[in-house]
Amino acid sequence: MNSTKIDEANGKSTVRNMAIAGAALVIGVAIGNKLLPTEQAGSAEEPVVVEAAGNVPAMNALPDWSGVWAEDGNTIFDHASVVPPGGSASSRGTREFPPLTDEWEAIYQQNLAKVLDGTFPDPITPCGIPAGFPRIFNLPDVYEFVVRPEESWILSENGPNVMRIYTDGREHLPEDERWPLFTGDSVGHWEGDTLVFSTVSLNTEATILDRTGLKLSNELTSETRIRKAEDGRLEVQMTLQDPLALKSPWVVTSRFRKLEPGSRVYDYACGENNRNPVMENGYTITLGPDGKPLEDIEQ
Amino acid sequence: MKFNIKYLKCSLVGAVTLALSSAIMPALAHHSTASFDSAKEVVLVGTVKKFEWTNPHTWIQLDVKNDAGEVVEWSIEGGSPGTLSRNGWKKTTFNPGDSVTIKVHPMLNGSPGGVFVGAVLANGTTLGR
Repeated sequence: MNSTKIDEANGKSTVRNMAIAGAALVIGVAIGNKLLPTEQAGSAEEPVVVEAAGNVPAMNALPDWSGVWAEDGNTIFDHASVVPPGGSASSRGTREFPPLTDEWEAIYQQNLAKVLDGTFPDPITPCGIPAGFPRIFNLPDVYEFVVRPEESWILSENGPNVMRIYTDGREHLPEDERWPLFTGDSVGHWEGDTLVFSTVSLNTEATILDRTGLKLSNELTSETRIRKAEDGRLEVQMTLQDPLALKSPWVVTSRFRKLEPGSRVYDYACGENNRNPVMENGYTITLGPDGKPLEDIEQ
Repeated sequence: MKFNIKYLKCSLVGAVTLALSSAIMPALAHHSTASFDSAKEVVLVGTVKKFEWTNPHTWIQLDVKNDAGEVVEWSIEGGSPGTLSRNGWKKTTFNPGDSVTIKVHPMLNGSPGGVFVGAVLANGTTLGR
């Protein structure tokens, strides 16, 4: 016996056929409140593939990105251009080489100098600012990649951060309805097992790409492709364009490995016990358990 | 504003400082590590006073005796509970009263604090490196 449940959300309808055996989950998606013709599940063993409109695939045509994932390597944004090779943001003198314009190379140089004297605070340290895009693909701790036909979500434990990618056929927000957003406005589609999306309307200048001091402008846009590579890694390839900060498109790839089955994602709750406030002069200090600075600070 | 380096000359009976040829700093999830000396490791032998199993960082409060026999409380910063639990830690990995040895990258200005690098617990279990 099957039961049918109809959900109305965001102008779309979802039909979910649930077999008692629980073995067949059938989801059809239609656009504009028009339900696609569906077949009732023929048996509990065989899920029914429902073709969806346009480029919106059926749920069971999407790739399996379930589980908990962690980025390969350290939290350097561009592992391909970093010097020294394999260098981390916590090692002084580490930097990357994006095709920066002279003006933004000078900004990067200034930030690199601030990193050396300890006055380049991370915007996320006060626990109120999200990592934003593209840094969301460059965080420690773990990730989940949740895919559905009409929308996908990238969830990072660190932060936590949420990035939404609409794949229901909608366009980007009109220019006059945009404002700077930390994760931007992302729309895209599926090309087989690859999620392809563009991101605009970013608030990049309020964030960093990593703690070497690398920043881009709010004119940044990205064409991003996410797919599961042959080695099982999730591969995120971003083609970044920024008419203010970049002389040419900058292609950066992040890879994520799947953790063992049963792994969990937990609270992050950044403000729970943040003992690292940022001072007005940019120094990040450390508080003792009594809430007083460990450093002997003279104002 | 400036920092006084009043702790630098405070040698510790239970502390051994190691100079490193290569700098490897454990990733801290939410703030700069500029205030820590990634080129130096200090080995602290002491007694756990408190273990804060909290976000965004865990903290081990460790009492360590100095040359004068005075107890200095060190604040040792670690990863988030989520990351540590996925690596086998528990909220009871450190308990008040435990005698432990902990290796840290110390704070650059000599304050009694550092980033966790590794530890040997009272029962001989080793953590980190």
